[in-house]
Amino acid sequence: MHVMLMYVISHLGLIFFMYPGNVISSTEQGHWLPVLVGVVIHFIFITIYMKGLSYFPKKDIIRIYAGIGKGTAILFIAPVFLYFCMILLITLRAYSEIITIVFLSNTPLWAIMLLLISISTYIAAKGAETIFRTGLLLSLLFLPIIIFIFFTSFQNVDWRYVVPLDADFGFIIKRTYLESFFAFSGGFLFLGFVQPYFSYNRKYILWAAAFLIPFFLFSVYIPVLTFGQATSATTFLPYVVAVDAININWLMFDRVTMFFLLSLISFIMLYLALVSWKTIRILTHYLPSIKPVKLLLALSAAVYLSCFFIQDWKDVEKLFWWNTFLRFYILIAVPFSIFFFGRRIKRKGKNETN
Amino acid sequence: MKPINLKSKAPITVCLLLAMMTLTGCWDIRDINHRTLPVVLGISTDEDGKYKVFLKIVEPIEDNLEVKVVTGTGETISHAVDVISRNMETSVDLLHVKVIMIERKTAEEGMKDIIAGFMRSREVSPKVLIAICDQNMDEFFSILTESKELHGTNMFDYFEKNAGWNPEIALTRIWEVYRSIHSYTRDVAIPLLMTGETTTYKQVGSAVIKNGKMVEQISNDETLLFNAFNNESTHGQIEVLDHASVMIIGNSMDQHIELTDKQPFLQSRINLKVVVLETRGKTSSAMIKKELSHLLSGRFSSMLAKLQESEADILGLGQLYRTKIDRNELKNWRSIYYPNLKSDIQFQIDIQNEGYLKTT
Amino acid sequence: MDRFVIEIKAELGNNGDFHLQRDYLADAAVMLMGFNTLIDFIKTRTVLHKHAESILSQNQPSEDLWRAIGEVIEGDVRKAISSIYEGKLIIHFENTSRFIIMEPVPAMLDRSIDTPTNENVIKGALDSFTEGIDANIGIVRKLVNSEEIRIDSFSAGHSRKNKLSLLYIDGQADMDLVNSIRDNIKKNIQMEACDLQGLAKMLGFPSWNAISKFNTTELPHHAVQNLRKGKVVLFVDRLPFALILPSLFWDMFAIENDRNFPLPLMLAIRLIRIIGILITLITPGLYVALVSVNPEVLQLQLALSVAQSREGVPYPALVEIFFMLLILELILEASVRLPKSIGPTITMVGGIILGQAAVEAKLVSNLLIIILAATTIANSTIVGFQNSVSIRLFKYAIVVLAAIFGILGLVAGLVFVGAYLASLNTYGKSYLYLNLKGNESNGG
Repeated sequence: MHVMLMYVISHLGLIFFMYPGNVISSTEQGHWLPVLVGVVIHFIFITIYMKGLSYFPKKDIIRIYAGIGKGTAILFIAPVFLYFCMILLITLRAYSEIITIVFLSNTPLWAIMLLLISISTYIAAKGAETIFRTGLLLSLLFLPIIIFIFFTSFQNVDWRYVVPLDADFGFIIKRTYLESFFAFSGGFLFLGFVQPYFSYNRKYILWAAAFLIPFFLFSVYIPVLTFGQATSATTFLPYVVAVDAININWLMFDRVTMFFLLSLISFIMLYLALVSWKTIRILTHYLPSIKPVKLLLALSAAVYLSCFFIQDWKDVEKLFWWNTFLRFYILIAVPFSIFFFGRRIKRKGKNETN
Repeated sequence: MKPINLKSKAPITVCLLLAMMTLTGCWDIRDINHRTLPVVLGISTDEDGKYKVFLKIVEPIEDNLEVKVVTGTGETISHAVDVISRNMETSVDLLHVKVIMIERKTAEEGMKDIIAGFMRSREVSPKVLIAICDQNMDEFFSILTESKELHGTNMFDYFEKNAGWNPEIALTRIWEVYRSIHSYTRDVAIPLLMTGETTTYKQVGSAVIKNGKMVEQISNDETLLFNAFNNESTHGQIEVLDHASVMIIGNSMDQHIELTDKQPFLQSRINLKVVVLETRGKTSSAMIKKELSHLLSGRFSSMLAKLQESEADILGLGQLYRTKIDRNELKNWRSIYYPNLKSDIQFQIDIQNEGYLKTT
Repeated sequence: MDRFVIEIKAELGNNGDFHLQRDYLADAAVMLMGFNTLIDFIKTRTVLHKHAESILSQNQPSEDLWRAIGEVIEGDVRKAISSIYEGKLIIHFENTSRFIIMEPVPAMLDRSIDTPTNENVIKGALDSFTEGIDANIGIVRKLVNSEEIRIDSFSAGHSRKNKLSLLYIDGQADMDLVNSIRDNIKKNIQMEACDLQGLAKMLGFPSWNAISKFNTTELPHHAVQNLRKGKVVLFVDRLPFALILPSLFWDMFAIENDRNFPLPLMLAIRLIRIIGILITLITPGLYVALVSVNPEVLQLQLALSVAQSREGVPYPALVEIFFMLLILELILEASVRLPKSIGPTITMVGGIILGQAAVEAKLVSNLLIIILAATTIANSTIVGFQNSVSIRLFKYAIVVLAAIFGILGLVAGLVFVGAYLASLNTYGKSYLYLNLKGNESNGG
């Protein structure tokens, strides 16, 4: 149950910001096709991943890989580690930038980054159980707000913009489309780390993934339906602008964008904590002598300091692009390899009993 | 991972850090009574091509709210606002602007950059209403300042649906204008305001905006049709006929489109529910219905002809043809297809009730 | 007098309340020794004599009498002295070194069972626990009325032996929890456990927790219901409340007395408490954030009236809030200290003069007073005084963060508080553990 909620909220935090911009600029019409393709790929890989993990009850990824051999460890764990580090860096920098654009123009970037990373470090330091329980608490507090605003964002929608429904596959090679996979593959790896602590039913995770589908679809379509394709292609964060256009008369607050985005930011903090924790797990496996908390502090400090080297948004975009390669490698390699190894071990087990 | 027990030194360092932070941490703090909150932003261009910005500011002084108007000139809007802020004792915050007024001259020159500037910045919300001032902006604001009835949110209430709004006033927000600049198939109409003789404001019609420029003007009655096509409620609108005056209490629309050989054809039927308010002389319901439908369809045809001439599609008719026309061709909607549009519009009138008195 | 008595007298004779009396019981000369502040001598002697007579009238040997009265011990002076300190009566046979330790009729030193002083009950049982641990255990036994209740007693403490009791219902309670508590007590039996901090240290809880791990209650009904739910109750002698372990987050909102109302009302009341905790955490931070950092969130009219209310206030909103919160804390603390006769006067001074006059003198804005009043009232809707004090602490952190970062800081503060609550656990059972079984109806 906790795992399912964690899955939902870490994805929600990623969906509403960058994903619509990327998908909208990847194709002119028929946006449902890129969304569908992405969702289908996501589902396939999650199923393979979970099936593979089910062959190794109570073990997490690191132990699985390390148990098989050093070569596999380097082949798989090192990229995963690198990927996590880059995600931490990119997410922190990108979201701090977004916060500066949308909320507070005067607060310097380092202060916002400090806030985000210190809270994430604090949560990660307390351990996996804390992360999941905090996820439960936060979803109770903030999910109603998000769902409410999501439904009111339909206020300004003109359904006729849906219409050119036919689509072609040209978007697949477009760079922005590949970058949009950020929203998909960021989240599912944690399922592999969670095994020793919480057990989960595979079906619930699939239900959670299904629950997310309308959010994926509409986060792209609401800007398109409100503004039209041509206009939303000119905006940087189309969904945010669409939410900004909502007019609720009876509420005490004027700009609901802020509440929406802040709820998502709280989910992002949790997401950062989760990724930090995963990274530390990998590190402690190979450096068991240093205390985990110190490693965590060192990692956070390193990430924070390297954020200063990223000067502006163009650099963030570059990093994004480089990370995309890594992301695809991990998206494909990790589930398949786990599945493959799992099958092999099961077959070996069967052969032995025969 | 086990949670670490805090040793005695850590809380002290944390407290010191926090103390340091609070000393330097007040970057964004500016108390609300040290900010000026303008409600209306007026824009006009002067002879040098610079922008002159008018801000109608509401100030809480003692127990009531006083209104004053300040102006500033600058190369761009932000520059002009900055000039004003420089000269005022509080800092100007555009966060609560509700209405933006643009002088007619500026609108006819083109507002594309102004609108894009507002959409880009976070300060002005995209759902701010926009209106065009038919008078000289200086004159408009100086009459307003002298008027005694100026309340704080007066102009905003003019547009509020639950305050002074009327179905003949077009309600357009900045994001809709921005959308129309980039859209292939849709344009907007912006209300034209002036100061009134006895009331504070007077609407003299609406301006038709194509690609950020004002190209045409339509009258108040035609604005009603514009609102009807935009699915705004026309409830409360009073129509005057030769023999009666009626109030519209509801409307719905059925549309049927056809496209043959680059010639679009539109057949629409608008159902209106009315109540009879006053009659003149001897009338019957059939006569009222006939008069009303005749009046409205005539008005509609003339408006459509005017719009087709200036190639501005404020009724959003292009939207209806998205299923028929390919997206690449849709770019040419305004220039090729729209002027050739033939329409057949019929009004179906339903007299719901006639009040306390009967008519035959 | 013999050596035994001389030794005891040497040790205890300086005490003004040490009572030494000669008596005759069943034709034996005895010395009665004890503290007359702890023993009701008159009644005890009456009992003794009656007992002696009944035995003698049945012609049984006097040995039976001695054994029937109490423990017969030979020669151990130290044990006699420590028994006297415990409040027992020593019956010493003259010219021998035999004595009997008897449980006498004690002096009435405990409060009678009364209404609870710190918890108010509407529509529920009005008895409460007292200082005597035996009385408390007796009340619990009477309510539980089951054969599965288990009571473990310990004597903790270094210089003063304090009695500690652990109660649980066999079959319902989590045996890991029970065993951990028991092991910790036994391991640390030398530690002083006469207040909650000492007890927490004895049980191995970290001392820097902001939230108390014990759920204290004066109501027997509440304690017993929790026993039935599988929790463990601790009693400490001389502390008039039951300590329920483990304390959970949901206990801040739910007390057993709610079940005396119909179900929809119970859910509504619990919902109000949840809203209360949210208001008390968020409102001061929200005020600071909306007034200083992010005023675009307010509707225009509201923003204007807030600006109007702040006209003339000399310092920023953050300082204003801290100033008034500090004054409120001072008033709250002072009203606890004051005797009941002066209390209302000071409340009037604090409330009316400080509040109203501060607004009139333009030191604070009147909107702020409303916000603070709302916060304080909402703070008191939480069950358990120790919990409401903890929540009072958290809101300061949120105010500081909100002042620096605006509403982002408010949300970050909430995340931080949530994470802190999620990280607390009692012997592995998390603070946020929700009992999702069917016999509980949760309000949300």
